[in-house]
Amino acid sequence: MTISPLTIKKLKRFHAIKRGYYAFVLLVAMILGCLGAELLVSNRALIVCYQGHWYFPTYGDIIPGKAFGLAYDYETNYRDLDEHFKAQKAGNWVLLPPVPYSAFENDLQQDILPPEPPTILRRHYLGTDTSGRDVLARLVYGFRIAILFSLGLLVTTYAVGISIGCAMGYFGGWFDILLQRIIEIWSTVPFLYVVIIISSIVVPNFWWLIAIMVIFGWMGVTWTIRTVTYKEKARDYVLAAKALGASDLRIIFRHILPNTVSVIVTYIPFSISGGIVALTSLDYLGFGLPPPTPSWGELLQQAWANFSAWWLGFSVIAAMVVTLVAVTFVGEAVREAFDPKMHTVYE
Amino acid sequence: MTAYFIRRFLLIVPTFLGITILIFVITRFVPGGPIERIIAQAQQQALEGGSAAVSETVQRQPLSDDQIELLKKYYGFDKPVLVSYVSWLGKLVRGDLGISTRYYDPVWAMIRERIPISLYFGLLTLIATYGVCIPLGIAKAIRHKSAFDDASSVLVFVGYAIPGWVAGILMILVFASHWEIFPLGELVGENFDTMSLWEKALDLAWHSMLPLTAYLIGAFSFMTFLMKNTLMDNLAADYVRTAMAKGLTFRRAVFGHALRNSMIPIATTFGNNISVILSGSFLVEKVFNIDGMGLLGYESVVERDYPVVMGVLAISSILFLVGNILSDMCVAAVDPRVKFE
Repeated sequence: MTISPLTIKKLKRFHAIKRGYYAFVLLVAMILGCLGAELLVSNRALIVCYQGHWYFPTYGDIIPGKAFGLAYDYETNYRDLDEHFKAQKAGNWVLLPPVPYSAFENDLQQDILPPEPPTILRRHYLGTDTSGRDVLARLVYGFRIAILFSLGLLVTTYAVGISIGCAMGYFGGWFDILLQRIIEIWSTVPFLYVVIIISSIVVPNFWWLIAIMVIFGWMGVTWTIRTVTYKEKARDYVLAAKALGASDLRIIFRHILPNTVSVIVTYIPFSISGGIVALTSLDYLGFGLPPPTPSWGELLQQAWANFSAWWLGFSVIAAMVVTLVAVTFVGEAVREAFDPKMHTVYE
Repeated sequence: MTAYFIRRFLLIVPTFLGITILIFVITRFVPGGPIERIIAQAQQQALEGGSAAVSETVQRQPLSDDQIELLKKYYGFDKPVLVSYVSWLGKLVRGDLGISTRYYDPVWAMIRERIPISLYFGLLTLIATYGVCIPLGIAKAIRHKSAFDDASSVLVFVGYAIPGWVAGILMILVFASHWEIFPLGELVGENFDTMSLWEKALDLAWHSMLPLTAYLIGAFSFMTFLMKNTLMDNLAADYVRTAMAKGLTFRRAVFGHALRNSMIPIATTFGNNISVILSGSFLVEKVFNIDGMGLLGYESVVERDYPVVMGVLAISSILFLVGNILSDMCVAAVDPRVKFE
C-alpha cells in the first residue's frame, strides 16, 4: 500500500499541530500502558526468586503458596511473601509491581474501615474505595475496559453506519426516503432509556452492551456518510467511472469510499470520547457492565454517595478529564489537519 | 413555501405514529411491569407475615388467577396489543395520558408539575449560552490565532470534553462538600415556604448556580465555535474585502456587514431549543437531585411506570419534531435566499 502525497501532507500538518500531536502521543502511551497493565498494577509479583529458581507469576496459571514453602494451597499472597522472605533473610526475594493490588481484591484492615485515604506506606497511592479495593488499580483497569469498549463500539457503529449510509446516498430513491423516516423515528427513542430497560432484564456483558448501543446509536454516522456519499456521487469522476462501465460496487468501494475517508477520520476521536462517556454514564446509573467490573462510572457513583471520601471523586474525575481532553485535542487537530480552513486576516 | 411547511407538519403524523408504536412495543413486551411488581410486593408481605402457616404455594404465587386477571384488566393488559394501542392512542389524542401505575396520579398532572422546573433551567441556560457564546465567538474570530484565542479555545475544549454531570459532581465535591459555599443539591432550601419573596429569590439563585453551570458547560463549545467559524468564513468573503477596500474601518466592516450574515447558522439552531428547554438532562438532574422532567422520565423508566414513560416520550418527541420544523422556519426567516420546495 502506498500513501498518497496528499495523505502525507495531512499527516505532516497533524504533526505540526503540537497540542493535538502531544495529546495523541499521550493517548497512545496510555492505551499501550493499559494493555500491559498487569506489569504495573497487579497483586501478582513480577519475579519471585525462591531457592535459586526464578518464577514469573504475572501471566499464566496461579502458583499455590506451597510452591514457595508457605502452608496454603491457594494462590500465593505475594505481598505477604515479600515480607516473609525479608524476615527469613535466606536470599529469596520478590519483585512486586509498583502498585501491588488487583482491581478485585478487598484489602481490609482490622482497625481501618474502608474507604481509606491515600497512603504511600501501604501503597494505596489513591486510597481505597468503599469495599477496600485499590482506587488506582480500579482506575487503570477501568480505563482499559472503557477504551476497549469504545474502540469496539467505534468499529461496529462505523461498519453499520458506513454500509447503510453509503447505500442510502448512492442508491437514493425510495430506499433513501424509507430509511430517512426510520432514522427519524429511531433517533427520537432516547437510547439511554432503552439501554436501561434492556439491561434491567438481561445483565449485559461487554458484547451485549456494544450490540445494544449499536442498535440504538447507528443513526449519527449513517446520516453523515449519507450526506458525504450524496455529494460525492454528484461529482464528475463518478460519472466518468460510470461512463467507463464500472459497476456500482466498484464505484462505491474504489471511488467513493476512499474519498469519504477524510471525513470519517475527523469524526473518530469524538466517537471515542462519546463511547467512554456513554459507558461511564451507564455504569454511574448502575445499568452498565455488572459489578465487580472495574469502572469509572461506578467510582463516580461511590464518590457521589460519599462526599467525605474526596480521593474517590478527585482521582476518577482527574482521570476522565485527562483522557477526554486528550481525545478532544486529538480530534480538533485531526479536523484541522484533514480539513484546513484558510482564513483571510485583515491587518 | 407555505405549502412546504404544511407538508412538513403533516409528515409529523406518520412519524409520530411510528414513534408511539415503537415506544408501545418496547414497554409492552418487556417483563417487570406493574403486575409483576404487585406480585413481588404481595410475596414480600407474605414473607414478612412469616408464620409457618404460609404455605409453599402462597410463597410461589401469592395472588390467585382471578386476582391477576383483575389486575390485567385494570391495567389494560387483557386486551390484544393492537386494541390497547389504539385505545391508548385515542386517549393520547384527546390529551389523556393515563394514570401512573406507581403513584396513581394522572400522568399529565405529574408532567405539568415538572415543566416549570425544567423550563426555568432551560431558559436560563439558553439565555446564558447565547449571551456568552455570541460575544465570545466574535472576539475569538476577530483575534484569530492570538493568545486570547488559544487560551479560550483550550478552556472551551476542556468544557466540551467533560460531560456536564461529571463537572457537576466535581463542583459538588469542591464547592458544596469541601468549601460548603453552595448547597449539595435540590432546587430550594428546606424552609422555602416560610421565606419572604426576596429570600425565596436568593435561595433559588443560590441553589441554581451549580446545576446551571453544569448545564452550560456542555452547551458552550458548540455555539462558540459555530459563531467563530461562520464569522471567519464571512470575513474571508468578497463583500467584506470590498467593504474594507472602499475604506470602511474594520470594526464597521465586521459589525455592519459580516456579523449579520454570520447570525444565520446561529438562528438555525434556535428551533431545536424548545425540546432542549423542556426535557432537561436527567443526569444533571440526578446529580443535583432536581425534580424536573428528565428525572421524572428516568425514574419512571427505572420503576417501570410505563404510562409516565410513554407520556414523557410522547411529549418530548412531539417537541423534537416541531423543533426541527421551527429550525427550518428560522432559516427561511433570516435568510431570504433560502427556498424550501
